[in-house]
Amino acid sequence: MSPIVEHAQIFMIAQEVFAAMVDGDAGLLQPWDGDLPALDQAVSSWVDIHGDWLGRAVLTTEKSTADDLARALLDMGADEEVTEPDLVDAFGEIANVIGGNVKSLLPTQGSLGLPTVASVAPLLGGAVVIQELRLAWRGRPLLVAVWEIENTVQEGNHS
Amino acid sequence: MIRVLVTDDSRVMRQIVIRTLRQAGYDWDVREASDGAEALEAIRADEPDVVLSDWNMPNMTGIDLLRRLRAEGFQTPFGFVTSEGSPEMRAAAESAGALFLIAKPFTADAFREVIDPVLA
Repeated sequence: MSPIVEHAQIFMIAQEVFAAMVDGDAGLLQPWDGDLPALDQAVSSWVDIHGDWLGRAVLTTEKSTADDLARALLDMGADEEVTEPDLVDAFGEIANVIGGNVKSLLPTQGSLGLPTVASVAPLLGGAVVIQELRLAWRGRPLLVAVWEIENTVQEGNHS
Repeated sequence: MIRVLVTDDSRVMRQIVIRTLRQAGYDWDVREASDGAEALEAIRADEPDVVLSDWNMPNMTGIDLLRRLRAEGFQTPFGFVTSEGSPEMRAAAESAGALFLIAKPFTADAFREVIDPVLA
């Protein structure tokens, strides 16, 4: 059975989100070539999708990359310090927009949770990674994953 | 000058919306609210010319804000700027009285496409 969302669809969403929100230019988010290196100070942001289909969209990258994403979103200079609230807001919002667009692909609509940011997205029993995209943003590693969660383990924010 | 209330629980997204309005050529007077409840209070206190609102927010969602405004008699022009642009949500937005729904991610062109006809 084919997954509910295709790899190519998620890549297109991610590219569009980065082009419109982060870079103002397409082409700065590309597939990662080869194995992904171990991430230094990994940070993840995610949103949960609730409905007939339960799932989660998760972004993971290095803290320094997440800081630069926040700087890009907030029009900050390269040497300006990114506060924790700004990091959580900016990196969470990217997951929120990607998750919202993934949700739009589903055959039946549910609701989207609020974004969460932490060093790692907590593992959920019954959750299966149905897509994982190894990407390079400006040459730096970034993972976009979509999890499918069994009906019995609903967790996270509801709205 | 048109007075807009930009409502989103993300400060980053409010900033992007405000920046995009400017890039689209709208030199508007901007106020901000961080959720639907805060927006409702701001509108009751001083009704803006237009509201641009996120959908999915804590305390009060954008669709609940719109329904509450209409129930209280406010006919403030209202548009959504949201990460979810499914046909179902567009239909729900329209039936509640929204003029448009802009899906994130968006561009200045996308803003002009939906806002220009409303201003005409």
